Amino acid sequence: MFELKPMLSALWRNKVSALLIALQLALTLAIVSNASVIVKDRMEQVARPTGMDVENIIAATYMPIPTEYDMAGAVVADLDLLRSTPGVVDASVTNQIPLSGSGSAGTYFTEPNQEIGGENANYYQVDSHFINTLGLNLIEGRSFVPADEHVIGPNDQYHSKMAVVSKQFAEKLYPGESAIGKFFYSGANDNPVEIIGVVEQHLGAWPGWSRAGNVVFFPLLVTGNHKRYLIRTEPGQRDEVFKKVEDLLNERDPQRVVHVETLSENVQRTYISDNIMIKVLSLVMALLTFIVALGIIGLTIFWINQRTKQIGIRRALGATRANISRYFLVENALIAGTGLGLGTAGALIINQLMVSEFSQPALTLPLLAVCAIVLLLVSIAAALMPAMRAANISPAMATRSV
Amino acid sequence: MLKMHNIRKSYRTDTIETHALRDFSLEVNEGEFVSVTGPSGSGKTTFLNIAGLLETPTGGQYLLDGQEVGNLSDRDRSRLRNEKIGFIFQGFNLIPDLNLFDNIDVPLRYRGFNAKERRRRIEKSLEQVGLSARAKHLPAQLSGGQQQRVAIARALAGEPRFLLADEPTGNLDSLMARQVMELLEFINEWGTTIVMVTHDPDLARRAQRNIQIVDGQVSDLRQSIAQPEIASA
Amino acid sequence: MIGYYISLAIRSLRGTPILSALMIAAIAVGVGASMTVLTLNYMMSQNALEHKDKVLYAVQLDSWDPNQAADTANEIPWQLTYPDAVALLRSDIPTRQVAMHRFGFTVNLDESDMRPFTANTRVTTRDFFSLFDVPFEYGGTWNKEADSAAVQSVVLSKETNEKLFGGENSVGKVVQLNGEPFTVVGVLKHWNPSPKIYDLNNNPFADSEELYIPFGLHRKYEIYSWGNTNGWTSSAPEGAEGYERFLLGEHVWIQFWVELDSAEQKEAYEQFLTGYIREQKEQGRFERPLKFALSHPSEWLVLNEVLGNDNRVLGWASLAFLLVCVVNAVALLLAKFLRKAPEAGVRRALGASRNAIFTQHLIESSCIGVLGGLLGIILALAGLTGIRALAMGQVDQIATMNWEMMLAAVGLAIFASILAGLYPAWRISRTNPSVYLKTQ
Repeated sequence: MFELKPMLSALWRNKVSALLIALQLALTLAIVSNASVIVKDRMEQVARPTGMDVENIIAATYMPIPTEYDMAGAVVADLDLLRSTPGVVDASVTNQIPLSGSGSAGTYFTEPNQEIGGENANYYQVDSHFINTLGLNLIEGRSFVPADEHVIGPNDQYHSKMAVVSKQFAEKLYPGESAIGKFFYSGANDNPVEIIGVVEQHLGAWPGWSRAGNVVFFPLLVTGNHKRYLIRTEPGQRDEVFKKVEDLLNERDPQRVVHVETLSENVQRTYISDNIMIKVLSLVMALLTFIVALGIIGLTIFWINQRTKQIGIRRALGATRANISRYFLVENALIAGTGLGLGTAGALIINQLMVSEFSQPALTLPLLAVCAIVLLLVSIAAALMPAMRAANISPAMATRSV
Repeated sequence: MLKMHNIRKSYRTDTIETHALRDFSLEVNEGEFVSVTGPSGSGKTTFLNIAGLLETPTGGQYLLDGQEVGNLSDRDRSRLRNEKIGFIFQGFNLIPDLNLFDNIDVPLRYRGFNAKERRRRIEKSLEQVGLSARAKHLPAQLSGGQQQRVAIARALAGEPRFLLADEPTGNLDSLMARQVMELLEFINEWGTTIVMVTHDPDLARRAQRNIQIVDGQVSDLRQSIAQPEIASA
Repeated sequence: MIGYYISLAIRSLRGTPILSALMIAAIAVGVGASMTVLTLNYMMSQNALEHKDKVLYAVQLDSWDPNQAADTANEIPWQLTYPDAVALLRSDIPTRQVAMHRFGFTVNLDESDMRPFTANTRVTTRDFFSLFDVPFEYGGTWNKEADSAAVQSVVLSKETNEKLFGGENSVGKVVQLNGEPFTVVGVLKHWNPSPKIYDLNNNPFADSEELYIPFGLHRKYEIYSWGNTNGWTSSAPEGAEGYERFLLGEHVWIQFWVELDSAEQKEAYEQFLTGYIREQKEQGRFERPLKFALSHPSEWLVLNEVLGNDNRVLGWASLAFLLVCVVNAVALLLAKFLRKAPEAGVRRALGASRNAIFTQHLIESSCIGVLGGLLGIILALAGLTGIRALAMGQVDQIATMNWEMMLAAVGLAIFASILAGLYPAWRISRTNPSVYLKTQ
């Protein structure tokens, strides 16, 4: 019943056009599948839990104007002021702002005086309010208490006696066992640091870092030429508090320059390049699919116009409308199948290059299959409209002379 | 004017080879009006295409206006076609989205005339066929007879020495056919050589000479016209 | 004749408006996407020091961890330690040399109610301005002694001078940096190369610094870097305590550039560096195999991967996209031209050569290219606006199109459409005209 043989010979006579459509589909599949694996990867990156109450956190950085400045005293006074401000849940001092792209890292060892085989982690110098301020989830041990806090100068050689670490980092140091009460060493020395608490999740300062999630918190205040505060507000109060923070701090002590930002801004800024990749590649995928669909519609219409008389003759000889539209749909499916077959090979070859040359993620077969099926459906949908129109061609066309 | 000697033309498809012309020889003199008749598929159109330099023969010799044209490049053949040959077709073959003026302009453009010269020629040839008033009309706005007159005007605009007509009246009713035929005779009187392929024995008879092509060969030169079997073909 | 072909092309495009619009749109979208990404990549690859590329070198020394190579493209730390930088500055081989890093100050004026602000600052030796061709509006750089002794001089950027002094000649005036008086010795003209070739550490598309202060001030103000500071050991020379311990320790945080005008000079400098490293090895430093690198600005941009993998992927993706658009246009043009085959047949009969038919159709596809290119510029401008918004102001300087890029867009569109038109035009010019002349 399927007129496959005459169909194939008709296709053969139009081989260039058919090949061009197949080629478009092949290229599209190759591009779309590789783009979608990147998009998927980046979306997963961006969607990683931060472990924090990002929406309600404000970060303030200040630089004192005088060179001689009592920073430790200022921090205590500032934090008292911030914590007593209405709408503020808690406030804390820190050496770096989470997810800001700017911070410090060190190398840590489980044995003293080691030079190789250490584990890198992003480190924070914070106070006892920090875990509560960020809304981190403490899953083991305890948080810092005020008695744990130490104040040192920027050039002082001092090693903390204790630390809270992220679960990911705890598992790196002590896989398969509780890290609480165990020790590590920062750098090649013999000053043990005791792990007193473990938080479930924290991405640290650089979410794009290969070791993002390895985080250590020390109960330290290091004075220097600038300091940062984090402030968590009641839900919905952030923007209110945000407006006040700079003035509050400047009123208490005008001898400094204060800069205030929200943590959500930082999150957005830190994912800029991922976001650009996601948006641009998604747009490219959508436009490509659209253009290919338009191409299929255009060419099917052209073929049908060319064969109007032929279709009329077929109808006059007893072909049903369904026969006619099925003819064009099957023809289209043949072309699409060929194109997608070629495209699958192309996609895999291109992905090899993507992985080796541009360190992008590898393409998985299920994702490739999904892309191919979507494109097949799009091409069928694109051919459907002209094919239905072809079915409406009157048998009287057979007797029309032009 | 035209001299063909032992012209052969065959078409190949994947499996079959058909001979459209075999050992075809013919001579047409300057100023002659020759009609060509023959049954369908006898090779009339192939002859016309070769005479008009639209196709190249598979073998044999063809002299146009004393010049051997067998080995010319496409460019030279196109120039010869443009300068020396005018075509008139059964289906008129006017370009539907160009108005009459622009249709007649086409061969003059390829001739490389300047705008002034083109305008002069277009206006003159439209006048010759009596359609000056309709220069801005599209072909579809004209009757069949008028369209054919435009086609003739287009063929004449380049002042060709040699006019090839393929069933010029085939799509026209008898009144219009007569008008077109009179126009051709008028052109011939002014010195243009005409070769006309036709089915119509009455028209064929009006030519100075009739050639009959059967099976790709000139069957019988100078034989009497209006064989009944031709008329019914 | 070209004019005739163009008028025919326009007539033909108007004859099939939907098909023409489709092809123009396909080319426009392809060109728009490519030009958005290519403009970005092109601007990211700009070398502001192109004219001095042959004589400038970024200096790297391998002073890193004997157990592990530095985590950079050429396995040499990007920056130098302070002691190494100071030692290299003593060489008189280079025509010019610069040791520097980024820092920040609070800025205010005495007896002014202007609100204090923080300013990005470059701590550098005096040759910075001449080595990088930074133009001065007023005054000039500081004296040689300020590179090693604490001299409180400052050079202001044009923008900072406008903010502080309304743009007037402020040489000799005093500004307060972290509450300390600094005397203005120079004011720059607008200067903001992007990428910021002399310091690619963090954001290569950040703005240039607002203040420039001499390199001799480190000890006086205990200056740390506001860029990257990387270390591999906490050990420091005997007896160094406090800030000295940091300053003299094995941290890399100083950027170092030299200008070497001749091959002899370069050779001499290489010998100098080799000698320096050997000398340091004897003192127990530089435990890795002897290695240093001198990179031209163009090489430095590549080494630092200013044009990252993501940009390259987007570049290829957009070109592949354009390719699909071209294939699409080939198919549609073929359909369109074949439909007009009878007309081409008539033209052939009337004396058009194959070349004439070919040219006519190629010009028709170029017209599609020109229109597609113009539309593509608009799409690319929209695309760049979108990128600027997505990048939250980080690429404002580079996500813009200049005239060259706009011309390139039209050029790319014409190239793409001619490429698309080649086969269909060839096909139509080769068709046997007699087929179409016979009555159907």
